[in-house]
Parts: sequence; C-alpha cells; structure tokens
Amino acid sequence: MSLNAPVDPRGPRFSAWMTTVILAVVLLTGWWRLLAAQTVLFAMCAFISLKLNPWGHVYRAVLQPRLKPSSEREEAAPLRFAQGVGFVFTLVGVIGYATGLTTLGVVATAGALVAAFLNAAFGLCLGCEMYLLLRRHTPVFAHDRPQ
Amino acid sequence: MTGLLVLVGTLVLAVPLGFALRARDGRISRRAESDLPAEVLRVVDPANPITLVQLTTTFCAQCPQARTLLRDVAAHTDGVTHAEFDLTDHPGIATRLGVLRTPTTLVVNSSGTELLRVGGVPKRASMLAALEPHLPA
Repeated sequence: MSLNAPVDPRGPRFSAWMTTVILAVVLLTGWWRLLAAQTVLFAMCAFISLKLNPWGHVYRAVLQPRLKPSSEREEAAPLRFAQGVGFVFTLVGVIGYATGLTTLGVVATAGALVAAFLNAAFGLCLGCEMYLLLRRHTPVFAHDRPQ
Repeated sequence: MTGLLVLVGTLVLAVPLGFALRARDGRISRRAESDLPAEVLRVVDPANPITLVQLTTTFCAQCPQARTLLRDVAAHTDGVTHAEFDLTDHPGIATRLGVLRTPTTLVVNSSGTELLRVGGVPKRASMLAALEPHLPA
C-alpha cells in the first residue's frame, strides 16, 4: 500500500474530533507542551505520512470494525495539506505560549481549533478549499507539494 | 478563565460559520459574458450546447464529490458534457478567472462563453433548473 493511499473518510473525521479536544484542553489549561506534541503530530502527518497518525490506528482498531463497511474513499493529498495548515497554526501557538506571548499563543490555538472543529463537525476543510487563495499569498506552496 | 472564555467564544463563532459555509455550497451566480483563458477553452466541447468545466486542485477535498455529481448530470442530460481543469499549477489562470476556492464549476456554452458559475459542490436540482434555459427544447 502506498504512503498516499486513499483512506476511509470517517477516520479523518474521528481524528479531527480528537484534535478538537486536544486544542480545547490547551486553551483551558495553557499547557503548551501538549500543543507542542500536537504540532509534532501535524508535522509527521503532513510531511511524512498519514499512517503516523495514532488516531487513525485507534479508528481502524476500535471503531471501523463496529461500523458498516464503506466504499467511500478520500484522497490523501487534501488531508495532508490540511495537517500542514494545522501545523502552521499550532507552531505559532507553541512559539507564543513558550516565549510568554500568551495572547499570540491563545489566538493561534483558537485558529487551529476553528479549523479542526469545522472539519470534525461539518466535514469542511477550509485550507483545501482555499488552496488557491493561500497559494497566491504564500509562494512557498509552489515548491512544497507533497507528491 | 481567559482560556474558557476563548474556548466558548471560538465554538460559538465556529458553529454559525460552519452553517454559513455549508449554505454557500452550490450557489449559482450569473456571469457578465466574458471570454475564458485559452487553456480553459481547450477543455470545452464545441459539439455540445453546455460544458460543465469543473475547476479542481490536488488538495481539494470536495472535488471528487463534485465530479461524481457533474458526471451524473452530464450523463443524464442531453447536450451537457463534463470536463475538468486542474488549477494546482496554474495560479495565474485562477487569478484571471477570479476563482479562490475549489470546486468551482463554470457553465460554458459551445462558443466558449461562461454563462453561470457554481461555487462548491453543486446541488442537483438547482443546477438542472439553471441549465434548462440554455439547453435546446
């Protein structure tokens, strides 16, 4: 199976709910080491492989066998792109919390929470839809496409 | 305490935002007749009264859904065909078209004029109703 094999779309939805909970805990507690762990997780999924996402393994081991089989599949590229968008937000958040710029940390974490929550509750991936807009203002994407 | 307020505030804003973004899906806008870039015109089929040109990118999560629906509409409607144009490596064309999100679908006639534009995943019923005046009786 290739690293970019399409996935059961319910896995990423479950994963987005877990991310939503983690980001909510970070906002409540200001525990920036947890946010740092989430940042590393986003980076691994975005830049290495979605298979490194532990929530994906939990989904396949615990939830998928209890659900009706689905032939629906989602491409890996948008999912990895979304993880990259999450990575940027949480990285800024960690830098904010860790350097004492707490307001920056809170705002960036809230931004990541909006994205994760919209993904979990509505199945919306704003970063994916707005790729053209993001690219227009950030030339780095032109050279940074996961293959 | 601040954290709790920010958390509640964020979720209170995100819920209506989610509904608003959902409601925007499939909205059809009329276009002032304008010429399309030559690269896009290449996928338009002049033998059919209407080509549904679906604009996509590699990172578009909803594009497969839009593709399934548009292919089905084209298969069941005389005079309508479906085509795709990938904007991932053509940001200049995206700018010229004024397209900021994908999927976006252009409804183009046989002479290459854009008649309508549909943002997000189209809705079948409203799409068919909007196409009807442009199809042969």
